[in-house]
Amino acid sequence: MPGKIKRLIDSIILQRTHDNPMLERVIKTKLILKGINPNKYTFESEDDPIIIAKLEKMMNELR
Amino acid sequence: MDIISAYSTKDAIDEIVKDINDQLGFFDTELLVFFASSKFAPDEISKKIQDSFPVSQVIGCSTAGEIAQGKLLNNSVVAMAFNSGAIEDVKVELIEDLSDQAALKKAFDSFEKHYGTPMGTMDPQKYVGIILVDGLSCAEENLMENIGDMTNVIFIGGSAGDDLQFKSTYVYTKGKSYSNAAVLALLKPKKEFTFIKTQSFRDLNKVLEVTKADEAKREVLEFNGKPAAVAYSEAVGTTIEEAPKKFMTNPVGLIIEDEPYVRSPQQITGSGSMTFYCSVLEGTELSLLESTDIIKDTQKSIVQAQEQLGSISGIININCILRTLELKQKNLADDYGRLFSGLPTVGFSSYGEQYIGHINQTATMLVFK
Repeated sequence: MPGKIKRLIDSIILQRTHDNPMLERVIKTKLILKGINPNKYTFESEDDPIIIAKLEKMMNELR
Repeated sequence: MDIISAYSTKDAIDEIVKDINDQLGFFDTELLVFFASSKFAPDEISKKIQDSFPVSQVIGCSTAGEIAQGKLLNNSVVAMAFNSGAIEDVKVELIEDLSDQAALKKAFDSFEKHYGTPMGTMDPQKYVGIILVDGLSCAEENLMENIGDMTNVIFIGGSAGDDLQFKSTYVYTKGKSYSNAAVLALLKPKKEFTFIKTQSFRDLNKVLEVTKADEAKREVLEFNGKPAAVAYSEAVGTTIEEAPKKFMTNPVGLIIEDEPYVRSPQQITGSGSMTFYCSVLEGTELSLLESTDIIKDTQKSIVQAQEQLGSISGIININCILRTLELKQKNLADDYGRLFSGLPTVGFSSYGEQYIGHINQTATMLVFK
């Protein structure tokens, strides 16, 4: 279903940044360093299983 | 003063340790961070430094050059001591084998147990990590990515060096030396802190898209659908044979919010691919960079940090060896050292720098108010 990547990115940002702009910049940097540019995904973006796996790992790893 | 630095250029380890101890011995050291020229036997330097600070947490690594207040040095040992006025607490963990997938989780379990707080909820303004990694391990990228997945706390640090021999580098803790390893120190400072990540390059707006890569080998096979060496040479305007001469002045960078995360070319292989000092992901759009003014940019970064904090009581400066070489080539090493005059500073010339990820040709600094 298209848009899963966008939803996961939004969830990660919400989960980790607590509305802190500095933290948001750090989290977005982490994503881009993983090869996932948040600006490139929309709710119409096709799912990519490799990207989804990276994002799910990131969500699940936060201790 | 809650943070003080020392250095020694003596030849023998016993003399070095005595010299450092004479400078720091009166200080109630909670944490000692030291960087040692690779000329010193790793087990011996680590043991004797720890023995002379028996109740302190001690971390360090071997280098490709050292930095102490006001000077770029070689063949020396530099050290920074933090007392209980600077840090409320510190916990050090060793990842003894970087191929052990479970080791980082064990280290983080230990941090959580020590501090009584999950790593995922630690406030990154109240905790900071220092990381020192074997500079020949090629493990920095995965390690930083996994750390970043598990916590919002920033770990800043560098890759150990060995004076450009590229044979073996070491990290030090608990009186021993380790290869294929990393030392992580999680600090709860009493002082406010900030970070400097500075690299001196302009973006030439020439895109090199990584269309084929072997990420584990840090190898780019193709840029823009062409053999990497061909595409890079065309972008810098030279021949493939001459292209290596451009590596230091024209690396490539992943641009994030107008700031480059530098990837430095290492060599061109026989098949026309290029290896880097950092992993490069397939599908990434990199920009060709051109070097600018290290002195001016570093000075600006220090001033900004000073303005942000109000004052600076200590800096740990991890400065890429490629920057050190460039400074020496341009006879600017003394000018660079002078930027830190009056600011207790230690650091080293590194084989890679860590701040959020693994990067090259950058200085990453932990700065304390």
